[in-house]
Amino acid sequence: MKKQAMLGKKKLDAGMVITGLIILAVYAAVFILEQIMPSTSMLFTVLKKGATYALVAVSMNLLNGFTGIFSLGQAGFMLIGAYTFAIFTIPMESRAAVYQYYNGGILGFSLPVIPALILAGLAAAFFAFLIGLPVLRLKSDYLAIATLGFAEIMRAIFQWDKLGPLTNGSNMLHTFPNFNSFNIKNAAGETTVYLSTLIPFLIAGVCIALIVLLINSSYGRALRAIKDDEIAAEAMGVNLFHHKQLSFCISSFFAGIGGAMLAMYACTVQAKSFTTAMTYEILLIVVIGGIGSISGSCISSFLFVACSEWWLRFLDEKQVIGTFEVPLLRNGFRLVVFSIIIMIVVLFFRQGIMGTKELPDLFRRRPKTASQEAIK
Amino acid sequence: MSENVLKIENLTMQFGGVVAVNDLSMEINKGEIVALIGPNGAGKTTAFNCVTAVYEPTNGQILFNGKPIAQNHPNGKMKKLYAGSDPEKYAGKVLRHTPDQITKLGIARTFQNIRLFGGMTVFENVLTAMHLRRTSNVFTATLRLNAKEEKKMREEALRLLQVVGLDDLCDETATSLPYGKQRLLEIARALATNPTLLLLDEPAAGMNPQETDELSVFIRRIKEQFDLTIFIIEHHMNLVMEISDRIYVIDFGKMIASGTPAEIQNNPAVIAAYLGGDEE
Repeated sequence: MKKQAMLGKKKLDAGMVITGLIILAVYAAVFILEQIMPSTSMLFTVLKKGATYALVAVSMNLLNGFTGIFSLGQAGFMLIGAYTFAIFTIPMESRAAVYQYYNGGILGFSLPVIPALILAGLAAAFFAFLIGLPVLRLKSDYLAIATLGFAEIMRAIFQWDKLGPLTNGSNMLHTFPNFNSFNIKNAAGETTVYLSTLIPFLIAGVCIALIVLLINSSYGRALRAIKDDEIAAEAMGVNLFHHKQLSFCISSFFAGIGGAMLAMYACTVQAKSFTTAMTYEILLIVVIGGIGSISGSCISSFLFVACSEWWLRFLDEKQVIGTFEVPLLRNGFRLVVFSIIIMIVVLFFRQGIMGTKELPDLFRRRPKTASQEAIK
Repeated sequence: MSENVLKIENLTMQFGGVVAVNDLSMEINKGEIVALIGPNGAGKTTAFNCVTAVYEPTNGQILFNGKPIAQNHPNGKMKKLYAGSDPEKYAGKVLRHTPDQITKLGIARTFQNIRLFGGMTVFENVLTAMHLRRTSNVFTATLRLNAKEEKKMREEALRLLQVVGLDDLCDETATSLPYGKQRLLEIARALATNPTLLLLDEPAAGMNPQETDELSVFIRRIKEQFDLTIFIIEHHMNLVMEISDRIYVIDFGKMIASGTPAEIQNNPAVIAAYLGGDEE
């Protein structure tokens, strides 16, 4: 039976089934909650942003955790994705208003959401390809600095006045489709079925599923081999540059889609919001979730977003318990506590929430080690 | 000529002023087991690294099945330190491969200090080495359109693990294996690239006498089974004398002797190099 599993006739084991059920339950819960709770609830903000960050974090994990390339360019690729998506989806009738300083922009058409999403990914992947040619020859820290620099340059270029007809210069892009446009409305304009949270979950879900499939394929093994030992991987016939380039482009493709989702979440796009701090946030999510664990990245992105946006909000306001006014609580204190929590996580849970384990592993009985079998 | 699987001509490898390999020439014929021995730091592993394109030779030529796989003639500041015997021989010719291309041609190797993929299981280690014989691209592999090929790879990997006797340990993490088994796994992984020439870099290092005996039987067995030519670096003289057809001895990068095991055992230069006697 053990050998059958390895030969690819995979029988569904308990771990996979339970994980599948959990994922289904999450999707069902999201759908149901959305119908019964007021759409202004903070929960949905967190879920939408969480799904977006989960995708970007997983894409970063593909690079950092599975290929061993320490890249810090994620915000740059998100920016490219967000802009591409926004530029191509602003409806024709709104262009004059959006591009008010640039005579309505130069683009004479607009695309539906799904093609624009894919285009956003492709644009990011194309830039990754170009950047990868020189940058991927660098090693560890140097590569991190080079990609960080790239993200900063992108931010400056997209605000360049000469590119205004395309990018609207340093002004924001808006009135493109956002998550709320997925809600199904009746003739009177009232929303009948809320889908504004389910859709980002679906987009992120499909993308993450693709990444998981990639990681478990022959190519995924080659990437993990590069991470474990570059010299051995090369000696086993893995072309280092080709595979690093591949991983870099694929990661950027999904970061681009993540950027487009962030644009939909925020309803506006402005280059100056894609700062280095955003890359660090995503890096934090990856580290907290566990470098090399897809499910860890997903879980920690929701926790991270919930903590930073929602659960710790009370720390920013005056709290009075009885007659006692809790000291220290004032605007900005949330961030202090948040930083301390992160430091504790990094100090004491160095492996992150999941380490390199995945969700199905948690529900599996640990395989008996050879020594135990030998004793029997 | 075509009998030569590997032919090294005037190979010189310099690192700055250090001449690690000095004008080394040797031939390995099909079906042979040839050993390269020498004291520590003699340049054995450097010679291996030149063959597998980890290093680009300073001078010389390496032919695999009659085709050059590395060719270089020194230029620039290296010229001053040039130590080849025939300066005009490869003038102007530069040919270099990357290690993965060499592996694709059919030269597989193991490492002196074991280099397994530590984050992977035993089974995955072998499976990864089959990646280079793929016909799928990244899209077909991701979307599982290559299921047939993947299944074949898995069967093949399992068969190789059975050959080295590690099929019971498929799901163990590679680095959790005992030392001797890690060595065997490295050989299995090298075999998975489907080589015609296998380079073994100190396969018996750290093994006890019994394991070493088993290893020599094992090396002979895989040579027959996979129709291999084997080029081996080793310090265990018992093993070397037992399995090799011919032996090359190098010291300080220079070849000091070559011949059959019996000839080598009685060669005064070899004895001097190993025991530190007077050199003539």
